Amino acid sequence: MTPEPPDIDPPPILGTWGRLYLAVALFLALLIVLFAVFTEVFTP
Amino acid sequence: MRPLDWWVLAASLVFIISYGLYRSRDTGSVNKYLLAGKTMPWYAMALSIMATQASAITFISTSGQAYVDGMRFVQFYFGLPLAMIIISATAVPLFHRSNVYTAYEYLEQRFDAKTRVLVGIIFLIQRGIAVGVALYAPALVLTVMLGWPDQYTTVIMGTLVAAYTTFGGIKAVTWTDFQQMLVMFFGLFLALGMAIYLLPSDVGLGGALQLAGAAGRLNAVVTSFDWNDRYNLFNGLLGGMFLALSYFGCDQSQVQRYLTGRSIAQSRLSLLFNAVAKIPMQFFILAIGAIVFVFYTFEKPPLVFHQVELSNISRESEYPALAARYDNAFDGRRQAARQYLNAPGEETLAAYRQAQKNFEGVRKDGVALIEKKSGAGFNDTNYIFLSFVMKYLPAGLVGLILAAIFAAAMSTISAEINSLATVTVIDIYQRHIRKGATDSHYLLASRLATVFWGIYAIVTAGFGRSLGSLIEAVNMLGSLFYGGLLGVFVLAFGFRRVGGTAAFIGVLAGEAAIFYARFFTEISFLWYNVIGCVVVVAVGLALSLPRLHARA
Repeated sequence: MTPEPPDIDPPPILGTWGRLYLAVALFLALLIVLFAVFTEVFTP
Repeated sequence: MRPLDWWVLAASLVFIISYGLYRSRDTGSVNKYLLAGKTMPWYAMALSIMATQASAITFISTSGQAYVDGMRFVQFYFGLPLAMIIISATAVPLFHRSNVYTAYEYLEQRFDAKTRVLVGIIFLIQRGIAVGVALYAPALVLTVMLGWPDQYTTVIMGTLVAAYTTFGGIKAVTWTDFQQMLVMFFGLFLALGMAIYLLPSDVGLGGALQLAGAAGRLNAVVTSFDWNDRYNLFNGLLGGMFLALSYFGCDQSQVQRYLTGRSIAQSRLSLLFNAVAKIPMQFFILAIGAIVFVFYTFEKPPLVFHQVELSNISRESEYPALAARYDNAFDGRRQAARQYLNAPGEETLAAYRQAQKNFEGVRKDGVALIEKKSGAGFNDTNYIFLSFVMKYLPAGLVGLILAAIFAAAMSTISAEINSLATVTVIDIYQRHIRKGATDSHYLLASRLATVFWGIYAIVTAGFGRSLGSLIEAVNMLGSLFYGGLLGVFVLAFGFRRVGGTAAFIGVLAGEAAIFYARFFTEISFLWYNVIGCVVVVAVGLALSLPRLHARA
């Protein structure tokens, strides 16, 4: 992964912006799975 | 409205506006007036971005959308987090380093002046149409609540918002947005809590979910693919991502929020907060609509939720028979729902679904009667949540929910007026009409432009009256222009060798393609952004081929 330019501070959590972006993408995947389960459970 | 509701509503609005103006005392230069001197912390920008997008339409129309069509609308937002990641990684550092007031100013640095003006004008047209609709939505609230003509209410709301935006500039907009979003969160929790509390005691939340699911109202994810279906997983992820890329990356009303950040990192955090929080918030609002749907399974709703139209058709000769059929259909559905809850099974489920179908059929006949009488289309989606709030919520809470709706409306309108004024002054007036004037001259021009766009919003608000579901109307209108905007920014960021003329012609071709798709095909509006963007990029690259070959 290419290092961030010096005018960009690191994020307050997870150390790098790349890791933070990955965490957000994983959160989206988790939400979609949860919503799919929700739909499946409550749609007879 | 009871006196306590009026007090709560007035106190909330006075506090929000006073706080915003207090935080925006120092607006003595164009930079401070339009960019807050680039001093904003990430949390203020984050809530301002969220509040700008969450208009009154979100409250009024989204919950109604779940009532009539289920929760599948949430998929529309699935592409948003991906878009936020892309914008954070690409656009945010470029905009910050370019020291621009508007996203379109960057296009002149990258391409040329004509491309900047073209895109600026497209923004002014698109956002100019949307600001009228955004102002109409809260006017709708007061029309239902007080029976006032919506012309009066648009003037009152528009004047109030234009006044604090003109005085306080973007600082007032951002800090009022911040407060408004907090009021909205509070209002949302209360609305859902009350909807659950008001359910019959023998139904409860579990029974409500069972009934809403059986009626197809909990369809949060639809995996079947259809180009013409607006809301399914694939359209939401891809079409939604393109729409969000266009809106958050190319629309000045959003770009200006994060241009006020004190650093690239602060601006990025504000976008990523939205990436995480937006979908749960929309899910929450849709859940309110689904629960209200179940509430009205046991408490008889009006035949249509627009009281004035209902009273108009009640004088028609066909109405008594229709009302009797409606009473029967409601009783039948309520009975079928109880039977399904008491003995869930194939037979009771089929009976409940059939009863729901009958009920919807009678409601459609009521709508058809209104349309026959008025000679125009009719859609009462926007009135469902409001009718519930006004009739069933206790004193004080009605005022608070209304304050939340007003907060949502004001935050969107103020940001739109502010950004329209910014593009007018920075991209048009300062660049082409009056170059080299003093800072105080441009500051005055910015304030006057804000007043102009406030008046414009009031005058064009009536346009919303002829539209159906406002949330869909706003997104559809945006989609007519966003593809072109997105395409030119993709060329700017991703293709260094494409020149200004190629980008300019590309934008015109992209817009032509979108309008063709709108008026001559059945393609869902979510795909307009993709189509527009692809055409802009393709035409831009094709026209640049000779240049690329020459360099090679």
